[in-house]
Amino acid sequence: MIPVSFYRVFLIFLRIGNLTFGGGDPTMAALQSELVSTHRWLSPERYGLVYALARITPGTNLLAFCAGTAYELLGWGGAIVAVAAVTVPSAAVVVLLTAGYQTWKSNPLAMAAIGGTLAAAVGMMATSAWQLLRPQLAGGRRLRAVVVFGVSVLLSLRFGLSPIPVLGLAALVGFFWRVPATK
Amino acid sequence: MNVFLLYLLLLKATITSFSGLSSLPVVQHDLVEHRRVLTDRQLSAAVAAGRTAPGPNGSYIVSVGYFVAGIPGACAGCLAVMSPAFLIIFMLRYLGARAERRDVKSAIQAVTLAAAGLIVTSTLPLARDSITGPLPAAIAAGTFLFLTLTRRATIWVILAAALAGLLGALV
Repeated sequence: MIPVSFYRVFLIFLRIGNLTFGGGDPTMAALQSELVSTHRWLSPERYGLVYALARITPGTNLLAFCAGTAYELLGWGGAIVAVAAVTVPSAAVVVLLTAGYQTWKSNPLAMAAIGGTLAAAVGMMATSAWQLLRPQLAGGRRLRAVVVFGVSVLLSLRFGLSPIPVLGLAALVGFFWRVPATK
Repeated sequence: MNVFLLYLLLLKATITSFSGLSSLPVVQHDLVEHRRVLTDRQLSAAVAAGRTAPGPNGSYIVSVGYFVAGIPGACAGCLAVMSPAFLIIFMLRYLGARAERRDVKSAIQAVTLAAAGLIVTSTLPLARDSITGPLPAAIAAGTFLFLTLTRRATIWVILAAALAGLLGALV
């Protein structure tokens, strides 16, 4: 078995975190394969615990998962190395793309292309909302899903309530109004 | 805008969300509507930039930071994306099995549902700004269908949308 080190952890998280497309789940599956199956640095039980906790950690679940698994391997230093390896390269690409937007916005042809991507962004946001809603529309969970979703839209759109109180109210509703689990 | 304040505002958005774009309503409320340091168009561009880059979906926050305060703002955004992840360490040490409690999971599911509703609300002003004719409407609808029905990388949608916009201007 190859011993765990900061350098190896950095390389694994850099490669998998930045080259796996399809979002958090495929990336976490690739990391599971690498950390649990290939290198055997992490037991399936600890992987399961980190996976479950990452789901309920605020922020980006994938980053919480990276911080948790790397903490299990190398403590705080490992967590910082893993989160930086996954975040910083993509942040640099995002800065370059944003700078490009600001540079090209005076060019009509470039703006036509950018206009297309801005329209696509609207579709992406609608997809994001649908992907959050869809898993909770199953069976006995549908009524709560429709009520919480609908009331959130209403409170925000009709009554101008800011997001934090809406999210707080939803947490309270969810705490008391439990529905059957899917898994 | 002061970079530390920007970090705190972006952190407020990331720490109250549970997935990539669910922080968007808080960003829009604080930076577009309340402080007016960001426009709806810039927020749409930030989402497109964030989804074009590899890595976590929430990286659009870095672009938001760059629009508001340049490179220092981008660093503030990057830190705001990274910071909440470390909460899992305290949860690993102190919560453990309690994370499996049904009431905790149920509360998080409801917060996720509310975030979906808030994303819809936030998308409306962005749609009014970006959807100015049949072609952008078709691009937005096509993006939704493509991303919902396939598991292909978002980069292809972005490239196709840019090409469609360009062809629309040339024809």
